[in-house]
Amino acid sequence: MDHSEASRLMASEKYLLDELPPTEMEAFEEHLFTCHECAMDVRAGSVFLEHSKAELANSSPRVEPRAAEVRPWRGFAWWRPAFAIPAMAILLIVVGYQNLVTYPAMKGALAENQAPRILPAASLVSAVTRGSAPSVIAVRAGEPFLLPLDIPPQNAFQSYVVELQNPTGGVEWSLPVSSESVKNTLTIGAPGVDKAGHYEVVVIGRNAQGQNSEVGRYPFDLQFARTANPEP
Amino acid sequence: MQFHAFDRHYLEKLTSGDFRTQEHFVAYFSELIRLKLSRRLNSLSEVEDARQETFARVFAALRKQDGIREPERLGAFVNSVCNNVLLEYYRSASQEPTSDDEEAEANIPDPAISVIDVIANRQTQEKVRQILDQLPEKDRRLIKAVFLEERDKDEVCRDLGVDREYLRVLLHRAKKSFKSIYLKRVAKEAMQG
Repeated sequence: MDHSEASRLMASEKYLLDELPPTEMEAFEEHLFTCHECAMDVRAGSVFLEHSKAELANSSPRVEPRAAEVRPWRGFAWWRPAFAIPAMAILLIVVGYQNLVTYPAMKGALAENQAPRILPAASLVSAVTRGSAPSVIAVRAGEPFLLPLDIPPQNAFQSYVVELQNPTGGVEWSLPVSSESVKNTLTIGAPGVDKAGHYEVVVIGRNAQGQNSEVGRYPFDLQFARTANPEP
Repeated sequence: MQFHAFDRHYLEKLTSGDFRTQEHFVAYFSELIRLKLSRRLNSLSEVEDARQETFARVFAALRKQDGIREPERLGAFVNSVCNNVLLEYYRSASQEPTSDDEEAEANIPDPAISVIDVIANRQTQEKVRQILDQLPEKDRRLIKAVFLEERDKDEVCRDLGVDREYLRVLLHRAKKSFKSIYLKRVAKEAMQG
């Protein structure tokens, strides 16, 4: 294992968390004893954790499993006028807004979603295969679109995660995908976005040890069209 | 004296028995050896015995005429000696430390703790407290449950609604915040000797 691989795998963190499988642990230790940067990284992490344990031992109560949490009943304290009247007023405003604004908008969206329509689709080709020019898709702002994706199945991975990276490099959404699903072309219905620009679909494979590796990257440019897609 | 790399000059000082160099050498590798051994041996006393045996053998090898020739291989040599010590532990649970060189059987002490170390420890503890205080409550609970209470990591992540990657990134960021002060402390200790 060399330094770049150790960094890529977050080997220091995995070592401190006892997450490295035996072969990788030995390989990382072999590297650790010869790499000053990784050695200091692991030492710093170990010292931090030792001091954290001492600090946290004196602080908040033990983390209980969710089922054991019990909240005390506050009784009728909330029914006093000082609390009840403003609470009722806020409730009325919320109910009114929902009935006059939110629900009509949702009904309209539902009606639109239930009607058949043509959705734009991006032509996704791996960045390695295509080279420099990503494909272009034109959608209306907020309009959903399709991402047909062919992921070459690999035995090394038990499952996959598909992410959409937006023009600022953030993750727009993340979708878990089973290894069974990737045997066929995936047609992902992507929710509409509010920014045009360069997007990338990133496919990440996850092996049995929970380690992630990037499988492929599919860039495309999204442009906002002025009109809806033409009817046939 | 600043320690930069395990170069020829360092090896010469180590071999000749320079006290500060030896102290630095033991301090540098002790923690790595402990981390390695604690993942494989059952008790603190076994870990400490194996640590001492490792250093005893390394120093014995250094004192030989044809000792260690390549200073850049010093770390790898320490690791391989530790592996051999572990192998012998696995073969025999009641392995006694053995060495042909009687001098090498002397105890290899932990790096000495002085008043300066006590103060440095307090400063380190304070820095760790600051880092922990800046974390959201959920993250503090996560660190406490995993490292102090030693609960199953998957179970803790499930209870707190996070995944294992979140835990790794949390540790990475906390370690990064702490590392600068830790490196300053180590450099200061190396200079003070």
